[in-house]
Amino acid sequence: MTEEKKPEERKKRRTATEAAASIGPMVKAMITDVQKAREEGKPIAFTFIACAYDEIIRAMDIVPSWVENYAGICGAKRDAQRFLERAESLNFSRSLCTYALCGLGFDSWREELGEMPPDAPWGGQVKPTVMLGSGQILCDPRNKWFQAAQHYMPDVPVYDVSLPYPAYADDYDFHETEGYYVKHIVEQLRGLIDFLEEQTGHKMDWARLEELVDLVDRTYDLIVDTYDLRRAIPTPMGTGDAMNTMVPIQFMMATQQAYDFFTNLNAELKDKIARKEGVIEDEKYRLIWGGGLPSWFALGDFNYFNSKGAVFPVETTYRTLESTRDFDIDLKKIKDPLEHIAWRWVKTWTYWYDKARKRPGSHPDVERLIQYIEDFKIDGIVMHEAFSCRSWHVGLIWQLNHLKKIYRDMPSLILESDIIDISSYNEADTRARIDAFIDTLEAVKDR
Amino acid sequence: MKSQYFAGVDIGSTMTKVVIMDQTTLTPVIGPTGPEHRKLANRVMEEALAKAKLSFDEITYVVATGYGRINVPFADKQITEISCHARGVGHLLPDARTVIDIGGQDSKGIKLKAGRVVDFVMNDKCAAGTGRFLEVTAEGLGVSLEDMGRLSLEAKNRVEISNTCTVFAAQEVVARLSEGVALPDIIAGLHEAIATRIYGMVRRLKIEREVALTGGGAKNIGLVKALEAKLGFPALLPPEPLLTGAIGAALLGRDIVQEAAEKGETLVRSERRLTEASIFT
Repeated sequence: MTEEKKPEERKKRRTATEAAASIGPMVKAMITDVQKAREEGKPIAFTFIACAYDEIIRAMDIVPSWVENYAGICGAKRDAQRFLERAESLNFSRSLCTYALCGLGFDSWREELGEMPPDAPWGGQVKPTVMLGSGQILCDPRNKWFQAAQHYMPDVPVYDVSLPYPAYADDYDFHETEGYYVKHIVEQLRGLIDFLEEQTGHKMDWARLEELVDLVDRTYDLIVDTYDLRRAIPTPMGTGDAMNTMVPIQFMMATQQAYDFFTNLNAELKDKIARKEGVIEDEKYRLIWGGGLPSWFALGDFNYFNSKGAVFPVETTYRTLESTRDFDIDLKKIKDPLEHIAWRWVKTWTYWYDKARKRPGSHPDVERLIQYIEDFKIDGIVMHEAFSCRSWHVGLIWQLNHLKKIYRDMPSLILESDIIDISSYNEADTRARIDAFIDTLEAVKDR
Repeated sequence: MKSQYFAGVDIGSTMTKVVIMDQTTLTPVIGPTGPEHRKLANRVMEEALAKAKLSFDEITYVVATGYGRINVPFADKQITEISCHARGVGHLLPDARTVIDIGGQDSKGIKLKAGRVVDFVMNDKCAAGTGRFLEVTAEGLGVSLEDMGRLSLEAKNRVEISNTCTVFAAQEVVARLSEGVALPDIIAGLHEAIATRIYGMVRRLKIEREVALTGGGAKNIGLVKALEAKLGFPALLPPEPLLTGAIGAALLGRDIVQEAAEKGETLVRSERRLTEASIFT
């Protein structure tokens, strides 16, 4: 029976930084902490990355359980298939988000057994107290996943937060409407707090919330400063590592642990730069991971790029923040913590809008790529089309073509696979594409 | 001065191609790859050596390319098929700026500048954009692959094949046959379907004239015509579309040797053995 198949043990992937290497145990501890919280009867909230309300959950002493993270762990351990197959047997289409399918497959199985599925990766994902959706225009599972999960956990209430942001258009000044978005989001966050207080009995600690809002601002600024160190030649850290260091950004925001992690990474990168120690000894090609979530089961492909002399000093994926110092408003003057969160959220999205308007025909997503290409001295672009994630991946090819149209032609590679569905992946074909891309980079550099 | 000979070995999913070249002559041999032949590229090489009346030791440099390139123990170097096709087309058809290669297992678009690759796209995920699509459907129609192109030119009223999945398309053509649709009309529909997929992929590159067609697909006149209709202008065809990669491999081998000589460097060659590849070595 497929559900009983166990994955093969895999070798640990090599990282360039000690900080990235330390992530595995941190994630494991995070999963264990949620399991412990369940045993102790603490309230647990299923939630999504980039939800904007990290501070609210932490200030109310509610334990977040990051469902995309657990699906990613299953994928990285090459143990997602049995959960995907189970979701398929429940009539969920295989072309839906495979994070959601993995989570639904896992949760339905756990609820059916009354205990964790056999050999659940890292002890398993426990049943939550509440489920918090967070729609942000771009990703439908952020609304629909938990609604579907209620089929298997009908006693777990869902609260859906809507987190929109202004659309971009050449002929429309988004500054005129930003305030309306902020007002809407503040109302959403107040509703969230009311819901959590009612469902968990935990009251909001407003003083604690203000402290955490400030901590998040400082963490954002520190992360941008730290990642900017990767501009160095040779670069001390690549995207392969950044797929690890996204953990404190996405799953530990509003904690001192996240701030301390980036303080240490910052010091480590400065030390490497001083010693001219790069990801690889002979850096030949500098690439940008220009979009797409990674294949969690194939992160070793980053090492394969490295073996060909290619490094990734920068990526757009999971860099879902900007330095608050660079916003066109002074966040520190906004004393209401919920307004502060809402403005930070909106400004993070509109940060590239004004920049894009300065270049004829540009677009924020494309402008961001152009800026990174220049700042990080990039030779080529790699993108990943994950078939099951329409919302994040639709438009990538357009961005690439548009970049070449309004900026300059440059070698590009589109990888095709999925985030966790390994049946979509062929290592030999993927590496043949990478080889051909490296040939192209070499030919362009030689000209 | 004694001639130097260079060999290019292109192990594709269905055919293995070997060429031996010096400055003036070219000796080609084409043989099937197949599951049992994949490890027997040495036999195709031996055949080429016999045809060229050369011993293996007389070959200065051997470059392997194609899907099976890793499994060639007698090669000095492995180079991707993208680079080899580009070099081969650049040599044979110097006006080409875009290459569309239709192989048995994948299809590729390659953008060239001064005979070198500047961009590429590949389809290795879906058989519907490859020669495999025609192989499967030809079998369903009971027509030899070689006859597909010629027959499609007799079409009077091309049908639309709506299924983009190779397996389902094969079922669809059988259903069309049972409806009494003329064979040429069905085959023309199949060519249109595969041309649409390939053209859609290659358009990502911003196609520039001239366009060269290579690979087994370029030997199918029906597919060539369907692609030319999409392009809106005639395509260039090399004398033997199957050999472009192998010729490019041999030429790249020659480039490597010449560059080493110009720099006064000692040529690094592998400890090559003209034996069959084994997964145990």
